[in-house]
Amino acid sequence: MATKILEINDLTHRYPDGDGGIFDISFSVNKGEFIILAGQNGSGKTTLIRHLNGLFKPAAGTIRLHGQDIFKDLTHTRKTVGMVFQDADTQIVCDTVFDEVAFGPENLNLDRTLVNTKVNTVLDQLNLTELSSRNPATLSGGEKRKLTIAGILAMDPEVIVFDEPFANLDHPGTQSLLALISELNKNGQTIIMATHDVETVMRSASRLLIISRGRLVADGKVTQMIRHLESNGIKPPCTCTMEPSFPPMSMTPPCQ
Amino acid sequence: MNPFMFKPGNSLLHGLDTRCKVFLVCMVSLSLVNANFPACGILFGVLAFFTKNSGLRIGQTLKHLRYFILFLVFILLSRALTISGDPLVSLHGMTISTQGLYQGSLVALRFFLIMVTGLVFSATTRPSSLKSAAQWYLKPIPLVPEKRVAIMISLALRFLPLLIQQAQETSNAICARCGNLEKNPVKRFVRLTLPLLKKTFLSADHLILAMEARCYCEDRTDPEFKPSGKESIFIVISLTFWFCLLLA
Repeated sequence: MATKILEINDLTHRYPDGDGGIFDISFSVNKGEFIILAGQNGSGKTTLIRHLNGLFKPAAGTIRLHGQDIFKDLTHTRKTVGMVFQDADTQIVCDTVFDEVAFGPENLNLDRTLVNTKVNTVLDQLNLTELSSRNPATLSGGEKRKLTIAGILAMDPEVIVFDEPFANLDHPGTQSLLALISELNKNGQTIIMATHDVETVMRSASRLLIISRGRLVADGKVTQMIRHLESNGIKPPCTCTMEPSFPPMSMTPPCQ
Repeated sequence: MNPFMFKPGNSLLHGLDTRCKVFLVCMVSLSLVNANFPACGILFGVLAFFTKNSGLRIGQTLKHLRYFILFLVFILLSRALTISGDPLVSLHGMTISTQGLYQGSLVALRFFLIMVTGLVFSATTRPSSLKSAAQWYLKPIPLVPEKRVAIMISLALRFLPLLIQQAQETSNAICARCGNLEKNPVKRFVRLTLPLLKKTFLSADHLILAMEARCYCEDRTDPEFKPSGKESIFIVISLTFWFCLLLA
């Protein structure tokens, strides 16, 4: 039986101006899953994922991490559920790659030797060792994104939440990042990815959640949920890249 | 290119502990307050050696400082013309005095040496270690949240170039819609600053969330310093030099 990491029950969040928000969302996240959270712009993806590590407080509903309310120990929550934001530039806070990766472990007040060991391990894992003394401002978009992931990995999270990770990346950058995320998932990392670009990532994912106007409208295996994409304003995958197992072909547009 | 930007290297100064370098910069600056020409000459020689040793090209460094040197020439001339003394040259009622020229050149030379000291310091010191040194120096001062100050320095160093870049982008976007034809400087200023401020505050909001997401707090791991072992020699020499100048 799969181990439940996160349980979200009847989650509701309303913005003061009355626009947007999320309503009565319930689902759970099992260990090792790769979940795509798909939805068109303004559907509530970002609002939902910002609840998962306690950045936003819900108006109603609960989120439990290993059975415990996430707000009971926010430091533990944020250490366990790492978050990679859409804009890498506003997530990077330090002026060298090494310091940026060390920022999280330093916040946990770990011993300096342990911080250095963790940082060096992660830099090595993500092939960033040669860039360790570089200023993040001088990195490419793909490298910056990798750096933000490294900053999260150094905190040893169980779940990594990505918010539109492929935004503003070129094709090689997207492929390289996807390979890295898939590799992390194969090594047991649980991944939740908010995106409207389902096609890029569907082969690697195990589950697809579709959110529309703040409500969860579909939740299941990628192959079964793909038929609901277009009706919820999300671009369905191109037929030529799909495997025969993805039904129904008639719903997808022809390849350009 | 910014001449004050950190340039990686393995020189003597690169390896020196930043706390020691901050101390040395303070000592050099204090020494220069009373330095006469021979003392300035010695400091000039020392700085020239370290500039070369740090991998900075003297010619290029001077080229970067050309506008500052022009400013120094202005200081020299104004001093030479305003301080009374034995006339050296007289032209159209304006007299350059020997004492004025001496004072002017000494002041200009002191400013020049301070500027070069700052340049060599910033070129051989990582901004991150500068932040750590500031934290270390502020730690004994009561009521000063040294860790908060350090993170503020770090954020300022990180986001200042980003702000400049955003200002440039906003300015380009305004120019692309012929905003440059607007002659009223107030309107031009408002058109540039409002979107820039909006963008900056939004970025600041995102930054707060990103820092919170990584458990930011003030009870953080202390910074690490890696002394090269030569710090004591540098400190003794600088103190001796300063003491000699004090006695002279």
